[in-house]
Amino acid sequence: MEPWEYRPAQDLGLSRAERLRSVRREVGLAGWLLSRLAWALIRAYLRLRHRLRIEGRENLPEATPFVMIANHASHFDAITLCAALPAQQRVSAFPIAAGDTFFETDAAATFATIVMNALPLWRRRCGAHALDALRTRLVEDACVFVLFPEGTRARDGRLGTFKAGIGRLVAGTSIAVVPCYIDGAHTAWPPDRRFPGPGRLRVSIGRPLSFEQTENRRAGWESIATELRQAVEACARRT
Amino acid sequence: MTAAERLWDPGSAFDHPVTLWTTVVLIGLLLVAPIVTLALARIGIVGPETRADVLVRCKGWAILAPAILGPILLGSFWVIGATCVLALLCHNELSRATGLFRERLVSLVVVLAIFATALSAADHWYSFFTAIWPVSCAVVAAVAILPDRPQGYVQRTALGVLALSLLVGGLGHFAYIANDALFRPILLWLLVGVQLNDVFAYVTGRAFGRRKLCPATSPNKTLGGAIGALILTTCVSAYVGHHVFEGTGMDTPAALLGAGVLISLSGQLGDLVLSSVKRDLDIKDMGTTLPGHGGLLDRFDSLLIAAPLVFHYVGYLRPGFGLDQPMRILTAP
Repeated sequence: MEPWEYRPAQDLGLSRAERLRSVRREVGLAGWLLSRLAWALIRAYLRLRHRLRIEGRENLPEATPFVMIANHASHFDAITLCAALPAQQRVSAFPIAAGDTFFETDAAATFATIVMNALPLWRRRCGAHALDALRTRLVEDACVFVLFPEGTRARDGRLGTFKAGIGRLVAGTSIAVVPCYIDGAHTAWPPDRRFPGPGRLRVSIGRPLSFEQTENRRAGWESIATELRQAVEACARRT
Repeated sequence: MTAAERLWDPGSAFDHPVTLWTTVVLIGLLLVAPIVTLALARIGIVGPETRADVLVRCKGWAILAPAILGPILLGSFWVIGATCVLALLCHNELSRATGLFRERLVSLVVVLAIFATALSAADHWYSFFTAIWPVSCAVVAAVAILPDRPQGYVQRTALGVLALSLLVGGLGHFAYIANDALFRPILLWLLVGVQLNDVFAYVTGRAFGRRKLCPATSPNKTLGGAIGALILTTCVSAYVGHHVFEGTGMDTPAALLGAGVLISLSGQLGDLVLSSVKRDLDIKDMGTTLPGHGGLLDRFDSLLIAAPLVFHYVGYLRPGFGLDQPMRILTAP
């Protein structure tokens, strides 16, 4: 018999407001049920109104942890990528959302955590410490991160440059990165519109890459960012 | 008293003198305690540390006392509802602290058992009430197989059974007392007993406590505090109990003193149960539900063991709870 191992919730002892903003947030039964309900509604909405189509699902790794990345041009992107995951993995999928947009007020943070299951990354404080905390969570809990290396929604809908932070998250590890391309999100819900309009959504999922041999330094991070951008472009050409 | 009156008619709240006087004394204490402490601190009898400590406790009670007293005065429906909410919140704390929350099926069985307990209590259906604990323990042992992960099977089953024992077994019996026509004085007698027990242990421990009771489990508890609480709680409980149970099988000196000893011992044991859980998990508080006072389980721990023991002790000697009240008021065939 193995010795008993207690693993208290990682966010134990934090106040409600602190918990909402913690990258160590863990939900209980009620949070899990709420999120399952929210996802059933979101998937139905994406399928019925936006005729969501997903290509390349076979490229998704069976084992977690891994990171899904894509072009970013719309608030649809995170939920669209999560919708592409099988239900088992979606439970442990966390979109990395801008703290300064989604976690400023308690109301926004509650929405972002219950509906999106988002974890915050503050754009002005996304240095080594913040990324290390995220990487620890990703590996220890074997979860899925959904993130957008451009760092913000492209106002013109075209693929921008990738920031080196994605490299810093995965360099020197066996964590798989799955490049994806989302088509139609910018037309359906561009950044300058408050509410989404009609339009078809398509996701193309590429083959996973990993960067075990890449050195965990700036040059390595930048080469990862470049390589991933090319992989996303390749997905775009396939759609 | 009709079932409807008992469930939600606060009109008869103060019919029993024990309810009236407990309410008056509680409100009085809440007002007087901080004033006396401040006055004693000013003339130097009480040190600044004790002063801060007592004031923090008073602040906690200013929130808790109305939250506990309110449902009891409003009616037994509110007692059962509030106990159900309390059990759910305590389950949230316990499962997050032990890691049981990751075992969603086991956790779900505990939650359903808590709801079923509230339903059986509201319905006054005793045989359903007694069935819930053994059945849900068996169901926990069964659903813990489903993840097809033998590693940790014993642990997740045991944690589920512990949660059921403390929350369904412990708090459930507290809720079921609400079916008695005299539920207000009986519940207040029990609550005041276990809470005064804490206060007595604290005060006599400070005055006479030298030998540690069980330093590895709870470093602040002393033998002096435990014995002081045992003597004082037994006296107060027996005195109040005499007025609550007048004319029943409970109303003999031996039965009343026995109940007082039971309340004091089981109250202190409940406290130590929670201390043991926290020591084992290496955490300080069970949660942050009550800002500045730790978790709800930390506050209601002394009730967890006392409620079922006192329920069956009184049920045997008195005898019974709510036997003159209509049964199965929701599900009567």
